[in-house]
Amino acid sequence: MTRRRISIAAAGVVAVALLASACGRSLSSADSTTGNISPTANLVATTPAGAKPVSQAVWAVYRDVNSLDPVYAFDYPENTAISLMCESLLLQNPNGGIEPGLATLTTPTPKTFVFAINPKATFWDGHPVTPADVIYSLDRQMNVSLGGFYTGVFSNVKTIAQTGQDQVTISLKAPDYWLEGELSSMAGVVIEKSYAEKEGKNYGTPAGGIMCTGAYELKSWSPSAGVVAVANPHYWRGTTPLVKQITLTGVPDNNDLTAGLETGAIQGTYDSGGIPTLDELMKNTAVKVYQGPGWATDAMIISATSGPLANVKVRQALSLALNRQSIINSVYKGAATMPKWLANPGVFGYGTSAFDRAYQASPTMTENLAEARKLIAQAGVAGQTITIGTSSEVSSLAVETGAYQQAAVAIGLKVTLKSVSAQDFINFFTDPSYRKGVDMFPTVNYGDYADPAALLDTIALAGGSQNYDNFSDPQITADLDQSRTTANPDQRAALVAKAEQRAAQTLPWIPTVDPTNVLVMSSKLTGATASFAYMFAPWANSLGGVG
Amino acid sequence: MSRGRFLLRRLTMLLASLLVASFVIFGSMYLAPGSALSALTGGRALPPASMAALQQRYHLNQPFLAQYWYWLANALHGNLGTSIEWRENVTTLMGGLAWTTAGLVLYASLIICVLGIGLGVLAGLRPGWVDTSTLVGTAVTAALPSFAAAMVLVAVFAVQLGWFPALGNGAGLLDNVRHLTLPAIALAISSLAIVARVTRAAVREEAGREHVQTAVSRGIPYRDIVRRHILRNAAIPITTITGITIASLIAVDAVVETAFSLNGLGAFLVKAAQDKDLAVVQGISLVLVIAFVVVNVIVDLLYAALDPRISLGTAPA
Repeated sequence: MTRRRISIAAAGVVAVALLASACGRSLSSADSTTGNISPTANLVATTPAGAKPVSQAVWAVYRDVNSLDPVYAFDYPENTAISLMCESLLLQNPNGGIEPGLATLTTPTPKTFVFAINPKATFWDGHPVTPADVIYSLDRQMNVSLGGFYTGVFSNVKTIAQTGQDQVTISLKAPDYWLEGELSSMAGVVIEKSYAEKEGKNYGTPAGGIMCTGAYELKSWSPSAGVVAVANPHYWRGTTPLVKQITLTGVPDNNDLTAGLETGAIQGTYDSGGIPTLDELMKNTAVKVYQGPGWATDAMIISATSGPLANVKVRQALSLALNRQSIINSVYKGAATMPKWLANPGVFGYGTSAFDRAYQASPTMTENLAEARKLIAQAGVAGQTITIGTSSEVSSLAVETGAYQQAAVAIGLKVTLKSVSAQDFINFFTDPSYRKGVDMFPTVNYGDYADPAALLDTIALAGGSQNYDNFSDPQITADLDQSRTTANPDQRAALVAKAEQRAAQTLPWIPTVDPTNVLVMSSKLTGATASFAYMFAPWANSLGGVG
Repeated sequence: MSRGRFLLRRLTMLLASLLVASFVIFGSMYLAPGSALSALTGGRALPPASMAALQQRYHLNQPFLAQYWYWLANALHGNLGTSIEWRENVTTLMGGLAWTTAGLVLYASLIICVLGIGLGVLAGLRPGWVDTSTLVGTAVTAALPSFAAAMVLVAVFAVQLGWFPALGNGAGLLDNVRHLTLPAIALAISSLAIVARVTRAAVREEAGREHVQTAVSRGIPYRDIVRRHILRNAAIPITTITGITIASLIAVDAVVETAFSLNGLGAFLVKAAQDKDLAVVQGISLVLVIAFVVVNVIVDLLYAALDPRISLGTAPA
């Protein structure tokens, strides 16, 4: 009955392997039009701020939170809990833009990042945030012996040092504007040095707790009772949240989640991979369903280094033959859109006009069987076999695999499946011997910040952590490398857009659909962030009762 | 066998079962595919130095027997190890969870004893519509798996009627009982039916025996006959089936906890096994083995109390 699970396969990028509910959809329902959400419906990044105080709210995550240490935060439950209570050097706003957080960033030279810490910023215990805390937090992220997830994002960092009373300077080996995004997510969370040193290896566990700066502070945490956070009356920004207490509780079972939301035992949840009962919840007046910009891409990872899929024409043909609308309807109940790029358009966090312009000009990946068959004939691969890695235990994976299988058969390819158990699915990402003979496997993937490059660099660059098929395209490489060192956001966006347009042609992965971010909230509550930014920045500061 | 010697023998057997169980569980977790590191790193490609540091911290790079010995030596000192997933001591983690599981199993046991035996006795003594409806009712519920019962109970009593909460543990004793009611019913329902049916058969058999017929014909009050001749003799098979079903609840408990999103040992065990969190799997399994053995010891002690002809440590007739 597990729902979904993520595997981060990369520095800064998460590969979501959906362990979806066992209840529900079968392949045959793939063509039914159960989705009643228009894919063009206006997405909202925020919900109207709450107006009335609320004594407490229960918020569901798909399993228990198992760490509050930002070093180990890689999955929905941990991110949701840490972003509720902790803050990063920089702040991702709900639209994906990067704002000053605990500090303001200036870049006097492309290789010098200067952070001026906000002198008002304090931890829950009243201690001010000092350069020593910032340096300690970043050093901890970079410390290889802790086994944290984000060591890789600091690869261009030369030194981190205090350069003034409230100032920390990062010197870089090479210009790296991607670091800005990373420092607005989990890698940039600032914790209190003295507290963390006192707790040692217990920091971030139920025994040791945490010390952060956010508007909610940790009250208690145990595997039996979940994470209990209470409003911090001394929040340094001067505002106190209206909801006095938020309990994050793990609800692995979808029926429980639905029943809990409908009966008021749960006041809210962010969907982390397709709620099969979304239709039912949308009709229920006890809850309200919001859709915000999503940052995740549902895609088929190409891992073939030889055989038919190593040929770009075959990948293009498969993409053209795919019935994406059926996946949007059956897996996402309409809460997803047709893709144009590998990036979900929700991630245009900067240079928005440049991205929008290029995106408008790109074709939607609609079904075109005749064109697909033509490409297969040109490639001369009809009758050859491709192998899809999947897990039949996870209904969303099974449905998507089925759709790709259908597409492949329709263009004259043969398909074999390598189906593994739900918990072994992660091995396709981590174990090369597991991937042997597997040409592709499905995923939901996202970067740590709102930038199409955050995902594309791991897929399309040589040595990229998710570049399983040794994909290489000189134009994409040149554009991405240049974007990383480009300060001007519009110019950077134009370069990334060029790389995305090219990737939509050469298909290092095949984009499946672009899920929107689904927020289900009690109709008595309002104010939670509705975009995917909730994973990286405080999402409940404006939460409160409907006025 | 004296009660002291009996308990001593059972204790020795318990320790032996724990040792064997721990080795078998450790071995099967070791052989099962996948690595604890992939749960630990979320599949993220960590630098080799990070991987090495993690492997060393959790002794993952040592040979199997060395790893087992390391765990055993710590366990003998009362340290059940550190959870890889939670990075915290297993004993501390289990502390809070054990109460939920114990409460759920006890609640379900109570339902089985009171309702199961009660219905069985009633049906056994009252042929007619009571008996027939009990038989039909238990035939249906005996075949109802607990996860299916959970779905029905939630749909009817939580979502439709709103009498009970759909999930969670609750806070405070009364709230706990309210939260555990539906899960306890789901856990008990099929065992309850089996206990009721066995009880009914035992009571019916005893009621048909010659000495009971004789007692009836001699005009002894029916209440006394039921109490002294029928129930007393039917108690042995009833105790046996009740003991077995209650012990089996400990195993089924994980299903119900998962179905109701309860945070108990069972659901935690399932999750830990999926993530190859060895220390947690070992710790919880050992607690469950102990609980299982203790329930059986209680049943054995009850036999001796119910029927003086049975000496401790031998099978009842």
